Amino acid sequence: MSAASPLLVVENLEAGYGPINVLHRLSLTVHVGEIVTIIGANGAGKTTTLNTICGLVKARTGRIVFNGHDLTQLPPHNIVRLGLAQSPEGRKIFPRLTVRENLEMGAYTRTDPEGVAADIQKWYKMFPILEKRKSQLGGLLSGGEQQMLAIARALMARPKLLLLDEPSLGLAPQVVVQIFAVIQELNRQGVSVLLVEQNARMALKIAHRGYVLETGRITGTDRADLLLHDPRIRQAYLGE
Amino acid sequence: MFELLAIHPAVAELGQFLILGLVLGSLYALIAIGYTMVYGIIELINFAHGDLFMLGSFLALGVAIGLGVLTADAEVAWVILTIVLMLILTPLFCACLNVTVDRIIYRPLRKSPKLTVIVSAIGVSFIFMNIGLFWRGATPVKFPDLIADTNLIEGTGFRFTWKDAMVVGITVPAMIALTVLVKFTTLGKAMRATAQNPLAAQLMGINVNRVISATFAIGGALAGIASVVYGLYIKSVDYQMGFQNGLYAFTAAVLGGVGNIPGAVLGGLVIGVVGELGKAYLGAKWSEALIFGILIIILLFRPTGLLGARTREKV
Repeated sequence: MSAASPLLVVENLEAGYGPINVLHRLSLTVHVGEIVTIIGANGAGKTTTLNTICGLVKARTGRIVFNGHDLTQLPPHNIVRLGLAQSPEGRKIFPRLTVRENLEMGAYTRTDPEGVAADIQKWYKMFPILEKRKSQLGGLLSGGEQQMLAIARALMARPKLLLLDEPSLGLAPQVVVQIFAVIQELNRQGVSVLLVEQNARMALKIAHRGYVLETGRITGTDRADLLLHDPRIRQAYLGE
Repeated sequence: MFELLAIHPAVAELGQFLILGLVLGSLYALIAIGYTMVYGIIELINFAHGDLFMLGSFLALGVAIGLGVLTADAEVAWVILTIVLMLILTPLFCACLNVTVDRIIYRPLRKSPKLTVIVSAIGVSFIFMNIGLFWRGATPVKFPDLIADTNLIEGTGFRFTWKDAMVVGITVPAMIALTVLVKFTTLGKAMRATAQNPLAAQLMGINVNRVISATFAIGGALAGIASVVYGLYIKSVDYQMGFQNGLYAFTAAVLGGVGNIPGAVLGGLVIGVVGELGKAYLGAKWSEALIFGILIIILLFRPTGLLGARTREKV
């Protein structure tokens, strides 16, 4: 992986809300083709990290460079156009748009209607339940179905890098296994992934590398399989 | 044959009030859509919306004065030209004005508490009203009576005049056009997405500020269309007309389920009909009490309004 070129480079990032800084000189890198995970407890700043990369939270200092573009001062709607899409925490499905309309919104920045229609069919194949429910309102789907819709919706932008925020949250164990299998499959198809998870075990099992985030600071980083066997990690995040 | 079907005078009277109520109701509906769309997307009760409608009618009056077409005696071609010009210039004017107010007043307050923005909207309402006062004075101004009152359904016992036809002929296509726009176009879908979850909308690449501007433009344009129709129908405009009509339209929006466009239309029609029936059978002084009484009763049983959203986002 070290030979691969960096897709996303975050350097010395500080960001927060009001007078409070949540992220403290945070740096991380995602290379082309990687699944990178950020593990950490509730409130460690995982979501803030993703939202700052997406432009929803303004960076106070530091730099975010994606595929050669400096994102630091860009508004969120311009960041999507560069090839970076997020499936947000809590899924944030449009509840009164149909499943199909939700997917169409994911392709909002695209100008190739035929390609969009083809991609909708492609993700219907990967998530057959979405095709079955295509005319239903997003708000009426189950949690797992909404999670698949949120991922498919993000993929409709044809991102080079997919940011996933807690895809396992609130889902039944079998559904979590299914979702993680999908993430691995997407990665095999060439999508790089930055995955934020409280379910550290699952995340480290499918990731290439991991970062440990504690109260807004990166306190460790390594290959995912090594982190998975690190006694300190096992005790703090894997419940052993 | 026709004698057998002769309509009882009481039925004819009722029919007449229903027609009038529906005509006025479709006017309220057009204004109510502007309230409900803006509320749907930024949760602002835009109190200035009724006064925007008033300023629109003043501009339409200016068009008639400018062209010198002030009575129905003018040549038909000129009358048509005047009305067409009113229907182009007034919505354009109201759309631009509404977008401008959002840009310079509401947008800087986007992250302020809701109350701050609402009080600002009340302020804008007063500013508009005073502009109206300055523009056309304090007394009602006669609006040119350009459309004949000929009954189009002579012999049926009912009256449906060219004026009524004009109201239906303008408001219904406007509402259909809006529905198509909101339901099927990319902009319409982006507007609904932004209303339902502005954060997720940004993650889709939607420029939320641009969508909000478009919402103000469309709502303003519909108020502009309504103001032309109102002037031609009521034949009198004054600087305070935005208050009462705005209040009715706002009530219509709440009645139908605020944020819901078909709800605003339904609410407008209900209020138009109830208001007219109240006036007819209970007396004008009870009409408003009846309207707001019904509003309260409906909201007691359906707090989200007649067609208000029932699907909630799953967390």
